[in-house]
Amino acid sequence: MSKSSARYVMRLLVAGASLAVVAQAQAAPPPTELSGASLFAQNCSACHQLTGKGVPGAFPALAGDAFPQGPPEPVVRLLLNGRGGMPSFRADLDDRQIATVLTYVRSAWGNHAPRIEPAMVARVRGSAAQDHAAQALQAH
Amino acid sequence: MNEAIAQPLSRRSFLEGLGGVGGTGLVLAGMSALGFGIEARAAAPPVLSGRAGKRIVVLGSGVAGLTSAYELRKAGYDVVLLEARNRVGGRSYTARRGTQLTELGGEPQTCSFDEGLYINPGPWRIPYHHYGYLHYCRTLGVPVELFNNDNDHSYIYYEKGSGPLARRPVRKQEVAADTRGYAAEMLAKQVNQGALDQAFSPGDKELFLDYLKSEGYLTDKDFRYIGTPGRGYDTDPGAGLQPGVPSTPYAMSDLLHSHTWDTLKSVSDFDQQRTMFQPLGGMDRLPAAFGRDLGPIVHLQHVVEKISQTDQGVTVGYVDAQGQRGSVSGDYCVCTLPLSVLRGVDLQVSPGFKDAIGGVSYALVGKIGLQMKRRFWEEDHAIYGGHIYFDDADVGSINLPSTGWLGKKGVVLGYYQFFANAAKISALSLAERQAFAAAAGQKVFPQYAENVETSFSIAWHRVPYNLGGWAQWSDDGRRDAYPKLLEPDGRIYLAGEHLSYIGGWQEGGIESAWSQIAKLHKRVNA
Ligand SMILES: Cc1cc2nc3c(=O)[nH]c(=O)nc-3n(C[C@H](O)[C@H](O)[C@H](O)COP(=O)(O)OP(=O)(O)OC[C@H]3O[C@@H](n4cnc5c(N)ncnc54)[C@H](O)[C@@H]3O)c2cc1C
Ligand code: HEC
Repeated sequence: MSKSSARYVMRLLVAGASLAVVAQAQAAPPPTELSGASLFAQNCSACHQLTGKGVPGAFPALAGDAFPQGPPEPVVRLLLNGRGGMPSFRADLDDRQIATVLTYVRSAWGNHAPRIEPAMVARVRGSAAQDHAAQALQAH
Repeated sequence: MNEAIAQPLSRRSFLEGLGGVGGTGLVLAGMSALGFGIEARAAAPPVLSGRAGKRIVVLGSGVAGLTSAYELRKAGYDVVLLEARNRVGGRSYTARRGTQLTELGGEPQTCSFDEGLYINPGPWRIPYHHYGYLHYCRTLGVPVELFNNDNDHSYIYYEKGSGPLARRPVRKQEVAADTRGYAAEMLAKQVNQGALDQAFSPGDKELFLDYLKSEGYLTDKDFRYIGTPGRGYDTDPGAGLQPGVPSTPYAMSDLLHSHTWDTLKSVSDFDQQRTMFQPLGGMDRLPAAFGRDLGPIVHLQHVVEKISQTDQGVTVGYVDAQGQRGSVSGDYCVCTLPLSVLRGVDLQVSPGFKDAIGGVSYALVGKIGLQMKRRFWEEDHAIYGGHIYFDDADVGSINLPSTGWLGKKGVVLGYYQFFANAAKISALSLAERQAFAAAAGQKVFPQYAENVETSFSIAWHRVPYNLGGWAQWSDDGRRDAYPKLLEPDGRIYLAGEHLSYIGGWQEGGIESAWSQIAKLHKRVNA
């Protein structure tokens, strides 16, 4: 059913709200555009940590790491398709959100690499969208 | 004109079309029809007769590893099994008093449920067609009980729609009776007006009208939906002078705008169909029974670091609980580590095989068990098991226990969320997760938050030795990577739920083990 509703929930969160506040949010505020930092906190920090330092042996550090600061296309591809314990965000984040969060990763914690544009994400995503199975009422 | 229609259907788009409508099963049937080789599904373990005098190193003690070790040993192989954790079962797991878990990047957690109470944080239900799982319950004497996977009297809580039925709990039986009743009424009206005469052969029309009447509880004479006892009474019938006070249907427009109808399906998905079971006492009962049977060939707290091979055999390097490094050797290896974990192991295989291991990503998934002081959902709401669906994907559903009926306390599954929603909730502290879950349930039950005593939560993507709920194959991954991993690389065979079309189910792990050890045995006997 509601892949779109899953996306919608993500957009409910007020930009800059801490995760603790997010958890207590009751009613649905109007959708707002999220900053790179909030997108990272919501979607990435559980594994890569807010510090970008990751968890050794399981979740690689993004702070100071060469790969996310390297050529953009492989990084975008990784976010879209995932790999092992790195999830696919193809169905959950749109082109603009992926560009925004990656631009954040490329500039936070002392990282320094050019921004990534939504148009580039759209190009890598391609037309044959392979969204993972829409979130079903029941799964597993 | 529409170009897509003008073009003949390619084989691939035909298959994709089937996938969209009927899921993988239909795709497979379609592939069969088009002449791809599709194997028939096994319903019992392979018969491994013939020579078996080899030593097999099995890695991992989830259902895939346990099944492999059990069947290979039974066939006469010399089997040794290495498991990283201090318990068998992998994802087949139960949290009860004393269970400890520290997620990667998380706080230490010790389950403090009362004695006898538990939650299954991973697998929790077994549909009737999981023949392999039920086979081993029979063989190893693990009793099962019914798992209530659908409850007419449960609530639906949808908050994104509008109108009087949004943002309040609505009984599923009311939504089902009214939505389907009105739909049947409208269709009957069209049929009676002759609008669909083209679609009927002689005699069909009357039968179709009979069906609509039965489906929607329509009135005998004029095919109207005016409510039905199945949607519940305002006052239930009782003894003496109490015939019951019928309830009044909701307005169709209110139902539509609430979106609650999206919980209705003509029939449950294949994976979700009743009869559904759970092992009595917890999901760890089957692995525990396997473990008892296998005895000393299972080596716990042996973390595999390296798997190497020559054309003579395999060697597996591990670290044990004391931090000592060691290795075991054998003729072949059956490796059931999740691919998310295997990526981090020093593995001696061909580059193509290694790439294929990276050709899949794993699902994010989170659950929380909340111990409740009292079973208010049973006592005050007459809800016995089943699910409360939310359209807030951060919650997903609340699930009421199918065990301990009419007892004092119980453990409720407080949320079950996936993907980005699971990423988000898993970034919360343990206390914040519990507070989030309590607030969600409070929207449905006024008694909810005050009854929460303690909780146990899990985010599978942060669990060591799992790093994910289950393998999430894309179409490209299934086409390019999956077939490579089904074949051995030298002397190394992979198995696990990730190598099945029953992914994310224990049955997938069991049947994958059957299929891979059958290949191995055939080779030994070649
Ligand atoms: C939230 C959730 C809900 C689910 N619901 C259901 C359900 O209702 N019904 C159902 O049937 N299935 C369900 N599943 C799916 C089911 O849990 C899996 O498909 C199944 O348990 C996988 O078995 P496996 O043997 O392939 O893998 P696992 O059980 O993961 O076994 C792999 C084993 O390898 C070990 N290991 C990992 N790394 C190392 C190492 N380095 N060295 C040594 N050992 C190592 C692990 O500790 C583990 O024991 C669910 C899963 C989740 C996460
Ligand atoms: C469930 C945990 C998890 C989440 C959530 C997660 N990642 Fe990852 N990430 C991983 C793992 C594991 C890897 C290593 C993947 C591999 O190659 O096996 C990884 C790898 C990466 C890499 C490549 C690092 C390198 O040096 O190779 C980048 C970049 C990255 N992640 C960015 C992100 C971003 C941005 C988000 C949020 C939108 C995110 N990740 C969310 C687990 C996670």
